[in-house]
Amino acid sequence: MKLLTHNLLSSHVRGVGPRGFPLRLQATEVRINPVEFNPDFVARMIPKLHLVEVPKGPIEGYEHDEKFLRQMHHVLLEVDVLEGTLQCPESGRLFPISRGIPNMLLSDEETET
Amino acid sequence: MDSNHQSNYKLNKTEKKFLRKQIKARHTLLRHEGIETVSYATQSLVVANGGLGNSVSRSQLLPALEKCGLVDALLMPPNKPYSFVRYRTANEAKKAYITLNGKEIVDDLGQKIILYLNFVEKAQWKELGLQALPPGLMVVEEIISSEDEKMLLESVNWTEDMDNQNAQKSLKHRRVKHFGYEFHYENNNVDKDKPLPGGLPDIWDSILEKWLKEGFIKHKPDQLTVNQYEPGHGIPAHIDTHSAFEDEIVSLSLGSEIVMDFKHPDGVTVPVMLPRRSLLVMTGESRYLWTHGITPRKFDTVQASKGHKSGIITSDVGDLTLSKRGIRTSFTFRKVRQTPCNCSYTVVCDSQMKGTPPSFPGSAREASQLEQEYVHRVYEEIAGHFSSTRHTPWPRVVDFLKALPSGSLVADVGCGNGKYLGINKELYMIGCDRSQNLVDICRDRHFQAVVGDALAVPLRSGSCDACISIAVIHHFSTAERRVAALRELVRLLRPGGTALIYVWAMEQEYNKKKSKYLRENRISQGKEEISSGAAVPESLAEQVPDVGSQDAAGCVAALTDLQEGGGHASTVTKAKLPVHTNRTSFHSQDLLVPWHHQGKPGKDKAVGAAGPRDPGPVFHRYYHVFCEGELEAACRTLGHVRLLQSYYDQGNWCVILQKL
Repeated sequence: MKLLTHNLLSSHVRGVGPRGFPLRLQATEVRINPVEFNPDFVARMIPKLHLVEVPKGPIEGYEHDEKFLRQMHHVLLEVDVLEGTLQCPESGRLFPISRGIPNMLLSDEETET
Repeated sequence: MDSNHQSNYKLNKTEKKFLRKQIKARHTLLRHEGIETVSYATQSLVVANGGLGNSVSRSQLLPALEKCGLVDALLMPPNKPYSFVRYRTANEAKKAYITLNGKEIVDDLGQKIILYLNFVEKAQWKELGLQALPPGLMVVEEIISSEDEKMLLESVNWTEDMDNQNAQKSLKHRRVKHFGYEFHYENNNVDKDKPLPGGLPDIWDSILEKWLKEGFIKHKPDQLTVNQYEPGHGIPAHIDTHSAFEDEIVSLSLGSEIVMDFKHPDGVTVPVMLPRRSLLVMTGESRYLWTHGITPRKFDTVQASKGHKSGIITSDVGDLTLSKRGIRTSFTFRKVRQTPCNCSYTVVCDSQMKGTPPSFPGSAREASQLEQEYVHRVYEEIAGHFSSTRHTPWPRVVDFLKALPSGSLVADVGCGNGKYLGINKELYMIGCDRSQNLVDICRDRHFQAVVGDALAVPLRSGSCDACISIAVIHHFSTAERRVAALRELVRLLRPGGTALIYVWAMEQEYNKKKSKYLRENRISQGKEEISSGAAVPESLAEQVPDVGSQDAAGCVAALTDLQEGGGHASTVTKAKLPVHTNRTSFHSQDLLVPWHHQGKPGKDKAVGAAGPRDPGPVFHRYYHVFCEGELEAACRTLGHVRLLQSYYDQGNWCVILQKL
């Protein structure tokens, strides 16, 4: 699971709504996978991120700041979480990440409306 | 060759080539297996190309390694093309590194291969927990003497009803003969009213009496199936039909040993060694609940130390090796049931499930249960085979993806084996599927995918520039759930985002042209997708459907359904779901479509060509096929959307929606 993916994942436990994001990540096994750097691609991704802890947006002109883009590229696309857990911030429910795959399935009781 | 020597030394061509290959091996190990190599000497080495998975056995590799020093351990993980060796000292490992790197050895198939060694920090392999034999399973060793074995094998006359056609088939598929009652593979049952003349051959009388007397079996069987497996033959995982045979099923292995895989519905797989001249006894849980099968391959992974003893194949990778298969003839004795089965494993019992056949669901809970049994469980079972038939992306889906702007975030809900996740490299695509096994395949292909449900997609609202959902929503068994799935797709989209949805069409004949699904049948030399008789359409037709009156009635019901606010068609409460005949037109909108499962399809895809005698298990998948206008109408019940396009493609109804 790349960290960009993590930024898109949300918990769907009944009743949490938008408070199911961001999932608290605890990684026990991480790997770095080199990915070809594409500055345009990274620049386009940045506004789509939901950055909860950062009060301000990225600095103006970030699209041309290669150092910044390379850093974001590394963090978003090259870090791969192989094993760990994701925790719903509202309900505390844990979702496992195994062999790089998050399992977000809920039981019938957890989804019944 | 001392590859540490890198100063001003100019490497010659061979040396350069070797270095390239060694680096490639290093990268492959890292990328595909997560094995990190280090450039300094340690006690442990990874031996690329020297593994059970590429036909190198312990007996070939160990001597070569022992020449370089004292080997602490040689770990050979099953099915992997590499092994780990740990030497007593780093110096000895260094010697191996220098001596064996680039060394040629001969594998079990007689082919020359080159080993590439690299240092690793640790030689480790995660070990599986201790396993027990499936309950009710017993293996009795040496139950037949060598002389009797010879006599019994000779007693089988394979040529008597063999014509040229059958002879050809038997090369690619195991040979089968029945006594007592004929076993029919089309419905996996016997015809109890038509016993075969002659009963069981006389030669078995005294042997069966002996087994009864010594307590190996409790009942006298009246049915015998003889199977002959050449190396490379197998039989797909299955449970012997409950209603056909009583509890005890015994199988005698002559000619060669074999490894048989037992699998529990929870997913646990137990490989069991059946030695030559042993009797396998399956009762209780092992007969009624666990599936058993034989993987079609030429080598089995077996325990190196204890040799050919029966029981579970160890998971200790320090003690595994390969065993070449010989010709195995099995004699399976069973007693035909005359009354319906009344076991306690009702979920897998055909007698007891008949009382509650899958019917049109009357509630969300029933719908969920139906989908669990006839969609999710099936895909988990058939994932590998399914994936092998799903490799050609449909052109118009490709067009949709390629037209999206660079840097778009796209969700594929119901991504299956990830067919579309790599189509456009300019996009960031995330797949979501209900099947762990299918998501695993996406992961193997280095795509981003999660396990999740299409009714509760685990992505935040408004995060996607686009979504696709290809051949997914037709698996939901009520109109309410189908609309809910559409609503989820819309929720994921940002304003202005678009969604592409494909569902299977009721109308398989469109504009007087039959869809590819109808046109191709088992006899034709179709593409790989259909060689196994698989059900799902992968066809190319467009234009106006030709709807019969019967179909139209069904469609009208579905449309009114939506207008009445979902739920289910009250006119068909508790109606049984019909089983569809593959490659024919649909006569009902809600149905079960058979999938004829094949194990691992061989390179020549021969298994599918076996014909009516092919005993692969049949899975039923639930579908609700859509009629013209139905998908559109469902979309119109959603708020905040606009219908951009609506068309018919390859036997599917398709829409493109835009979120307002």
